[in-house]
Amino acid sequence: MSMPKLLVVLLIFLAFVFPIFVFRASASSRDAATSAISQAEEVVASAYEAVLEAEQAGANVSGLLVRLNEAGDLLARAQVAFRLGDFDETVLSANLCSEIGEEVRSEADELRVKAYGVRVTGSWLTMTGSLVGVVTVFLGSFWGWRVFKRRCIRRVLRMKPEVSADES
Amino acid sequence: MNLEEYRTVFVAGSLVLILIVAAPTLSLIIAFPGGSKRFSELWVLGSNHTAEDYPFNIAPNHNYSMFLGIGNHLGYCAYYLVEVKFRNQTPSSLLALFNITAFVADEGIWELPLTFSFDYKYNESLSQVKFYSLTLNDVTSDMRNYTVAWDSKNNGLFGNLFFELWLYNMTSQSFQFHNRFVGIWLNMTV
Repeated sequence: MSMPKLLVVLLIFLAFVFPIFVFRASASSRDAATSAISQAEEVVASAYEAVLEAEQAGANVSGLLVRLNEAGDLLARAQVAFRLGDFDETVLSANLCSEIGEEVRSEADELRVKAYGVRVTGSWLTMTGSLVGVVTVFLGSFWGWRVFKRRCIRRVLRMKPEVSADES
Repeated sequence: MNLEEYRTVFVAGSLVLILIVAAPTLSLIIAFPGGSKRFSELWVLGSNHTAEDYPFNIAPNHNYSMFLGIGNHLGYCAYYLVEVKFRNQTPSSLLALFNITAFVADEGIWELPLTFSFDYKYNESLSQVKFYSLTLNDVTSDMRNYTVAWDSKNNGLFGNLFFELWLYNMTSQSFQFHNRFVGIWLNMTV
């Protein structure tokens, strides 16, 4: 086979094979983008759950909510890029979103533990204060009653009976 | 007043004092019902940040602005999803053109300025508007399946841009429709 003929055959072969490679590459980027989005969605949801738990423990989560909104924006951007077929942008935005989500989750866990500690200490202080207060009121009332009763009895004993004359 | 009566007054007074002193601890154990109702707000405001001057007569490829807001009174920080949809006169279950997520603190509000424009053409023979795209905050969404027919009763080509509020449910780990939506009617001028 002469050189030009070989070149033509090679070109025809490449013309058939190239689209298959391109299609496979495109399919694989689409899969990667889909998986990046689902992972980002899961991370954001679990970060939100961690923030909610931290809030329930009494932590101030306003800073974490700002970061979660940033993650939410990136997730929305990834979804739009996916719809437009820009899979590179999808993966980039989704991965950035996952990164922020992970950071928020770990910060929320730390805050929850701290807030829980503060809450337990506060509860103990409250309970101790209440207990001391109740005992003081109980003993004070008991002592006060005894003093009051003694004074009443003394006053009654000091009273002199008066005899009124029956004039009839 | 005899001594027995004085004793009753003393016991009652002591019990009241004990209840007052123990109240902080009791509040840790007993959950007192909250007086307020739990709900979310969803609103759309015009370009002047008031409930007027909403866009109505729309021209193709012109920018219009308004504000979308959410108020959270649920008692906890909430994860919301706003689905942006478009419909003509007949309501139907539609796919969202855009999804907007928002994390809103308890008793907090969240607001987003919206700028949108429609790309469409009027088909005189069919008396309908055929849409190409909706651009919302610099993000374009395909609307090639959307049309609006001439409304001879109201003399216009009307479409409804509306926003549905969805709330993330921790139990089902998915978004659920929160029974709130707002929207504006638009007249597609040609």
